[in-house]
Amino acid sequence: MKPFELKISKNSESCSIISLTGYLDAHTAPELEKAIYELLSDGIFNIVVDFTALDYISSAGLGVFMVFIERIREKGGDIKLAAMTERVFSVFDLLGFPVLFNIYPTVQEAVDAFPRT
Amino acid sequence: MSSSPRDTSLTIKATTDQLARIRDYVFGQCVHAGISAPACHNLVLAVDEACSNIIQHAYHNNPAQTFNISIRATKNSVTIEITDSSPPFDPASVPLPDMSTYFEERRHHGLGILLMTKILDSIEYVPASSEGATNKLILTFKVS
Repeated sequence: MKPFELKISKNSESCSIISLTGYLDAHTAPELEKAIYELLSDGIFNIVVDFTALDYISSAGLGVFMVFIERIREKGGDIKLAAMTERVFSVFDLLGFPVLFNIYPTVQEAVDAFPRT
Repeated sequence: MSSSPRDTSLTIKATTDQLARIRDYVFGQCVHAGISAPACHNLVLAVDEACSNIIQHAYHNNPAQTFNISIRATKNSVTIEITDSSPPFDPASVPLPDMSTYFEERRHHGLGILLMTKILDSIEYVPASSEGATNKLILTFKVS
């Protein structure tokens, strides 16, 4: 399995994209939590998470999104999740996360779902 | 692929950086037993959740502590026994969250045991019977 990596890029003015690689578990989830916290500290509340290269997620990873979703939506933003593999989506689905989170087939669709500024 | 049962075990340091090693071990044993890849992935997740709880909540990520995982896998069933020497804690005693309430209250912990119950056929906990003995967490999965 690929090692965990996290990269942040800015997509024009509409949102920032967090791209995840490898595995998101109890060991790596704090790194994602720190990255989202820093985006919020910089006043960025429109976030797309690109799961294209993420092979594995456990409940520790899911919990990170729960930590921030209320605060982000109170600010008029959102965390939109995109491009999950079938295996990663199945973990979200098993716990009913699609009820609360917007999950898109592609990163572009997630980006386009944010209003352009 | 072999369908004959075999018992193997792994001793693990109680730190979260060991979770990847645990997952590789569980996946390898389940694949070797001839279990389908989707079922192997589910078992990996269930064991990850069980071990994450032990590492973080029982041993507080203490590298001086270790625990043991043993697996008996056949093409029809997998039994995973996790033994540790931490203060006894029965994960099956924890009330499972109702997800509607969980989302309404924006909670962010306590999903691991729920995932385990959704994947596994049984979760049995045997606390240490005396000082120096080990707790046993026995996870059973039947291949459908």
